[in-house]
Amino acid sequence: MSTGAVAPAATARPAIDQAAVPWRRVSLLAVGGTVLAGIVLPWVLVRLDIGDYLVTLLILFFMQAVVAQSWNLIMGYGGIYSFAQVALFAVGGWTTAVLASSLGWNPFIAILFSPVVALVAAVGIGLPTLRLRGVYVVLLTLAFHELAGEFAVTGPRFISGGGYGLTTVPTFQFGNVIGEQRTIYLYYLAMVIFVIASFVIWRVIHSPLGVAVIALRDSETYAVSRGINQFRIRLILFAISAFLTGLAGGYMTHYNGGISTSVFNFSNIIDLLAMIVIGGWGTFGGPILGAAIIIGLDQYLVGIGDYRALFEGLILAVIAVFAPQGLWPLIRKTYDKYLGPEPPAPAVPSEQAAYPAQLPNQRGGG
Amino acid sequence: MQDTQIVQAMWGGILFGSVYGLMALGLTLVWGAVRLLNLAHGAIFVVGAYAAYWVVASLHLPILVALPFGVLAAAVFAYLMHLVFIRPVIGKPGFDNATLIATVGISISVSAAALLIFNPEYKVVPPVLSDSTIVAGVQITYQGLLVIGTSLALFAIVHLFLTYTRQGMAIRAVSQQTEAASLMSIPVVQTYGIVIAISGALAGLAGVLLSPFFFLNPQSGFNPMIQALIVTIFGGLGSIRGALVAGFVLGVFESFVEVFYGVSWALPGVFILIIVMLIVRPNGLFGIGEVRRL
Repeated sequence: MSTGAVAPAATARPAIDQAAVPWRRVSLLAVGGTVLAGIVLPWVLVRLDIGDYLVTLLILFFMQAVVAQSWNLIMGYGGIYSFAQVALFAVGGWTTAVLASSLGWNPFIAILFSPVVALVAAVGIGLPTLRLRGVYVVLLTLAFHELAGEFAVTGPRFISGGGYGLTTVPTFQFGNVIGEQRTIYLYYLAMVIFVIASFVIWRVIHSPLGVAVIALRDSETYAVSRGINQFRIRLILFAISAFLTGLAGGYMTHYNGGISTSVFNFSNIIDLLAMIVIGGWGTFGGPILGAAIIIGLDQYLVGIGDYRALFEGLILAVIAVFAPQGLWPLIRKTYDKYLGPEPPAPAVPSEQAAYPAQLPNQRGGG
Repeated sequence: MQDTQIVQAMWGGILFGSVYGLMALGLTLVWGAVRLLNLAHGAIFVVGAYAAYWVVASLHLPILVALPFGVLAAAVFAYLMHLVFIRPVIGKPGFDNATLIATVGISISVSAAALLIFNPEYKVVPPVLSDSTIVAGVQITYQGLLVIGTSLALFAIVHLFLTYTRQGMAIRAVSQQTEAASLMSIPVVQTYGIVIAISGALAGLAGVLLSPFFFLNPQSGFNPMIQALIVTIFGGLGSIRGALVAGFVLGVFESFVEVFYGVSWALPGVFILIIVMLIVRPNGLFGIGEVRRL
């Protein structure tokens, strides 16, 4: 979204709508501070007794947040009810695992192929499904998940590893670095992926593409009649989401030194869904917040074992029905109050404000 | 050898087709009337099956007593789900998102609860009829015949109910024109509740009748639900006739693939069929548009 979109200044400077310049609402100080804190944090943490463990938790958080964010991009923003996210993560993971373990490639080279293959797979799923309505997308993406899981178990040996997945994938090696030092390097790699993914998603949301996506979600009929090509937009969004997810899958494979067929467990889908819903469905920061909450809570919930899924399901249902925005609005309000660069300009009284957020006859729609 | 295999495939196909139809009937009713994709349908199936199992195993009552109990438990559970999670969002903008996630959440909680109450071991629910006979070298269980008969009878009953009773007509009115129906003083939200309860009863019945074939465990509702979803889409969302025909078509197709190409091809085969179907006829076999449903 360039400034060229704004009418050329004639006599009076035209007031730019807040929505057209989203970066003005972001304080560089806050973002820069967070990134700096992220860079310094592992050096501080490894001085603690359990520091190594905390750093690995943060790595896990970065990766889960990438997947949750990219799922939220298509589901929360795009309104595409895709359940293929975990399968695409696995596609990314398997790609690099096969390249590294069967062909002996360097993990740093092999991982570059996982987002690409995940993207190709996403386009393959997207072409037949994304023209269809929501319910069909749910079914066909679930089908893809099931089939991919089936193939990972029964496929050829260099993929299935005999039914358990690939267990001897080379891990990332940074020269001769070992121990804490290596954990910190791994942390930085994860953080770079997380920052890139977050920036890409933020940029997509605030681009004309993102505006079109939100328009489609909020009123499909109106958006389509204004000339938005729904199928194309959805396919692009799906591809972006798969690209980032595949990258995360590749990282986790080399981080763990293997990928097992248990990634297809339904509980992984549920955890990601919980992150999105609890954090904030269709908000930028929601999935990140959700990932932090779920991973943080997980450390305490180990004690309650089997009750975990019970509560997770109930919380999902309750939040979805009674607080569909999740916890993000709470954080957002605090941010605007204390850290926001300036209070948002008083709403311009325009006819746009008079439009209802939703056309009244939007019922179901699929 | 061929004859036995064909009879085997036909029998399996018709049997599972009728069960898929029974599950799909509930899904399609709810979709048609409430516009709700009920991903908790498999959970309701599990509720019915475990309720029946509990009556048999703990109270030592015969399965004929447990059967209605299971059906009732499933219906009550579905109605409670409607009261707590569906009702608050009816008519709100985020209906799709909220109900989709809520039903997924409910199904997770139900499996988790079943795991906690009854351990993860496989349970055996006794069949209502345990005898069997041999036809052309294939074992035909009476329970299977009962399932097929029940399924067909239920399709007929639901069809008659929707066509001739006041309540049924109210359901169709609500599904076709909600605003007009509410202007004719049909209690729309209550009608939704009734449809969801009926659908729950059907899922519960499927759960009790099907559990003797597969063993019962907390996750055993998932596959029947996926199959029902496929059947519903294949037959045309919201179409009852579609659910009936598609149930048998898919059941027989899957069974033949299983017998002649091996079990591992069954699910991929069905998915390929459904993808082709969606390309050729995007609205399903008996695709009905947006206007006329049920």
